[in-house]
Amino acid sequence: MARNKYLLLISSLGVLALLVAAIVQEHWLREWRRIQRRARSAEGPVPVYLRQVVNTTLGRADRCVSCHLRMAPGETPLATEPVLAAHPPLPHDPLEFGCTTCHGGQGQATDEAHAHGNVPFWPEPMLPLRFAEAGCGTCHSPSGIPEAQTLAEARLAFERLDCLACHRVDGRGGTLRPGAFGMEGPDLSYVGLKGFDHQWYAKHLAKVRHAPAGPWSAFREIDEDDLERLRIFLESRIGAPRLVEGQAVFYKAGCLGCHKVSGVGGDEGPDLSQAGLKDPGRLNAQGGHGSPRLVNWLLEHFRSPSSVVANSQMPAVTLSDRELELLTLYTLSLRRRDLPSSFTPRDRIRTTRLGEREFRTDGATLYAAFCSGCHGSRGLGLRSAGMPAFPAVAHPDLLQLVSDQFLIATIARGRPGRRMPAWARINGGLSAQEIRTVVLWLRRLGGADFKPDGRPRRWVNADASHGRRLYRLACAGCHGPNGEGGEGPALNNPVLLEAATDSFLFETIRRGRRGTAMPAFSQPSPAHPTLAAEEIASVVAFLRSWERPAPPNVASTAHPASGERNLP
Amino acid sequence: MNRQLTASRALQEFRNNLRQAPRRILESAFRSGRPVSDRARALFVFGNVFLHLHPVRVHRWSLRWTTTLGLGVAGAAAFLLTLVTGVLLMFYYKPYPDVAYQSIKDLHFVVPTGRFIRNIHRWAGNVMVVTVLLHMARVFYTAAYRKPREFNWLVGLALLVLTLALAFTGYLLPWDQLAYWAITIGANIAQSPRELTDALGITSWFDPGGLQRLLLLGSDTVGAEALIRFYLLHVMILPLVLAALLAVHFWRVRKDGGLARPPDADRRLPPLPGNTYPVFTEAPQKTYQVVAIVRGRTPVVGAGPENTLPSMPHLLYAELAVFMLVVFICLALSLAWDAPLKEIANPLVPENPAKAPWYFLGIQELVSYSAFMGGLGIPLLALLGLGLIPYLDREQEGTGEWFAGPGGARLAGLSALFGFAAVVAVEAFAIRFGWIREWFPEAPQLLVTLINPATLLTLAYALFSLWILRRYDSVRAGAVALFTCFLCGFVVTTVIGTFFRGPNWVFYWSAADWPAH
Repeated sequence: MARNKYLLLISSLGVLALLVAAIVQEHWLREWRRIQRRARSAEGPVPVYLRQVVNTTLGRADRCVSCHLRMAPGETPLATEPVLAAHPPLPHDPLEFGCTTCHGGQGQATDEAHAHGNVPFWPEPMLPLRFAEAGCGTCHSPSGIPEAQTLAEARLAFERLDCLACHRVDGRGGTLRPGAFGMEGPDLSYVGLKGFDHQWYAKHLAKVRHAPAGPWSAFREIDEDDLERLRIFLESRIGAPRLVEGQAVFYKAGCLGCHKVSGVGGDEGPDLSQAGLKDPGRLNAQGGHGSPRLVNWLLEHFRSPSSVVANSQMPAVTLSDRELELLTLYTLSLRRRDLPSSFTPRDRIRTTRLGEREFRTDGATLYAAFCSGCHGSRGLGLRSAGMPAFPAVAHPDLLQLVSDQFLIATIARGRPGRRMPAWARINGGLSAQEIRTVVLWLRRLGGADFKPDGRPRRWVNADASHGRRLYRLACAGCHGPNGEGGEGPALNNPVLLEAATDSFLFETIRRGRRGTAMPAFSQPSPAHPTLAAEEIASVVAFLRSWERPAPPNVASTAHPASGERNLP
Repeated sequence: MNRQLTASRALQEFRNNLRQAPRRILESAFRSGRPVSDRARALFVFGNVFLHLHPVRVHRWSLRWTTTLGLGVAGAAAFLLTLVTGVLLMFYYKPYPDVAYQSIKDLHFVVPTGRFIRNIHRWAGNVMVVTVLLHMARVFYTAAYRKPREFNWLVGLALLVLTLALAFTGYLLPWDQLAYWAITIGANIAQSPRELTDALGITSWFDPGGLQRLLLLGSDTVGAEALIRFYLLHVMILPLVLAALLAVHFWRVRKDGGLARPPDADRRLPPLPGNTYPVFTEAPQKTYQVVAIVRGRTPVVGAGPENTLPSMPHLLYAELAVFMLVVFICLALSLAWDAPLKEIANPLVPENPAKAPWYFLGIQELVSYSAFMGGLGIPLLALLGLGLIPYLDREQEGTGEWFAGPGGARLAGLSALFGFAAVVAVEAFAIRFGWIREWFPEAPQLLVTLINPATLLTLAYALFSLWILRRYDSVRAGAVALFTCFLCGFVVTTVIGTFFRGPNWVFYWSAADWPAH
């Protein structure tokens, strides 16, 4: 029976060995302990213990500072290795909110892979460092950001006018004078947050007059357009330059035409308000776990939406690699959380409670953000596979024929049953003022004003039955036998028929639209029958036959879709 | 002066008593003194509440490693280990959805050694399931269930069911995706009688499946109610019942005359070591006690010198050795592999494939053919058959021997071959060609319930064992054939369910072939 004794001895020694191994693993092999043992401050070695940043209001207990020792409160180890680097400067103290509030990751974990969340089964991985600014989106919703083109012009103006000679912005520029004078001009990186003196230009000029020599002598007069650009640039300096650029690219790409962010935008696509919080474990993408996987999925999704989301109706985003990167940054920043009121930043209150827009409400930005996704950045229409063509809304031939009222009504009421939403009526649509701004911008894009011909709205009085025959012959091929649309737009749309004047319909058929599939039917052509003026009039009369008498007010008050259904 | 003297004497006594206190505490705790003689050792065993479940003396046959392979003790050791680690985990665990998940995360990352303790708990639970199953196989193959141990076999079966129930209820507690969907599957298996009642069209007024599921979950879906139910079952009800039955199980081992051994065990053992104090049952000092006239097998008289050794220390060493071995294995597994923890449970995003805990994957594999048969019919039949074995096999040949009965190991091997071939053939056919539903989508459900791979396989096994029974003219031979076949079926279906089933329960040779989700 001695065998049992030996087995007992050996297995007990084995258990002892394993327990010792567990102790060693727990106490000596932990990464953070090794880092802290290696760390030295000016006074000598750093005491080894688990450090954490706690914020009970936000429910955070982040142990990141156990490795990133320099960021722990009161610790000043020498930066002998990258992990001991200090936190870059921020407008607010990073310790105030804990680490994971902005960066994501598992604050409780104490080894790198888990803490950074780049493991399977952690839904909120740490944002990669190059996308760190996306973390601002947890609390902040910057307002009044222009679209990318406008922002780029504003930046170029700032650089062209040589402001960087004296001022430092986002870590660039500024001149350090020898002696005790310090920087020539103030750092402008945060002026968008802190506000700035709008009289700065006059004051600069005054300075130049009083001190013509020295650095001030380089200051030149600035014209109105450039002053406006500088204002845009300065207002967008909120300490997160790449995030602002990303947001600008998001507007430039026209995503809001289909997607909502914080309740504003179209409803064709999914709401993106929490798009940055997608769980990487559920995404169909390459690239390991955690944030690399999420970033790869987003990039792949932009380049070819239907390859990662089955049956996606989203057209591919045609942007440069750099812009896609910025777009990814902005998408990652869509991670807004509910915050206790004491932690809600001012910009968030302004956008969520006071109705301030996150986008700048100038024509360029509004058009880019809401319209360009379908109608193209220059308003020349878009054509993507498997979908009817989107009309060229800034076409001069169109703009000459339609009044601003027509354009406003079209934007406000949309095209029921088609993809064009009623922007004045849907949730998260546009205000009347914004729609007017868009119309003005369309006029600017197309470079054409309305040229009224002085006729009443309805003047055609012709034979609709003759028009029907002609329609079958000349129009049905593109616009559908019942005007339901096909290659060309739907013509039986009640909102179109109500807003369109007879002259608009007549002249459009007569002159066509240059550069599109709509020919001028008054011109002889082998491709289509030539129509005389009275024939065109009868076609217009036939189109009018689709117009059903609307019950009073239903068109202006009821929801267009439900109003449609209620009609006989 | 007198008072002073008295006081000083009392003081003296106090000092003396204080000095003697440790010895007296020890003496009062272990009244039998140091276990140096066999008598003192015997006293030590039945003077100790924990040890008295042991017999005073244990037969040397029982101490051979090949007799039991230590599997029963290993199962009990794993249970003790889960008990201790489980209590430790309870300090941090909060049985409420979402909070539960966070508390497991806390255990994993925050609580010192929490991850280690949880790993041990998880691994010891799995070791327990495995050892209990193997223990059952050992008892079966050594024919140790026979008279007078029939009832203890039934107690053992109850313990097996309790072990699976404990493991299953513990599975939900982390509240991650793995747990959530495994329990959803498990609850759906509990609902499987509904397939039959649906086919008969009587579900609306007789729905045992739905009731079973409702009792399990306390709700229509896995939620807070299910979690608190599973928690209570896992930490209190099941362990208490299991511990009580375990005591009965041990006690019956002793009362049924120790472990089963062949009648000629005494002759086959090597002679006793020289330093052993022999026990003669014919010893003139032995007097009959009341127990002697009660029907029972304990006082064996007139059998010559016993081939027994005192349980203390021989049996204790063997048990402790197995216990430490189990601890060693569990610790080693825990250091090497962390217990899984996926994302937090999300009722809106089903796992695909959603798999039950591994020990139910064989059942899930059968359920994929017929919910009623796979989930209830056949497991119940198997359990019933297992329970009846000791009452149907009343033979005595070879009790206590490995692969006892006519045919021996060769028969077991043949049965294993048949069992393996049959299950692989049926599975391969069903995987390659589909089943009735795929050929005739309109086939009545009752037909599929009656004729499916699970029932066909069971039928094949039954026919095979009947053939063996007639061929060897022995119930035991038939039982060996059937048990072995079912064991093979269990192992193969479990392996298929675990490794070869992918999304939508489609067969894949490797998880690497699964379509991207």
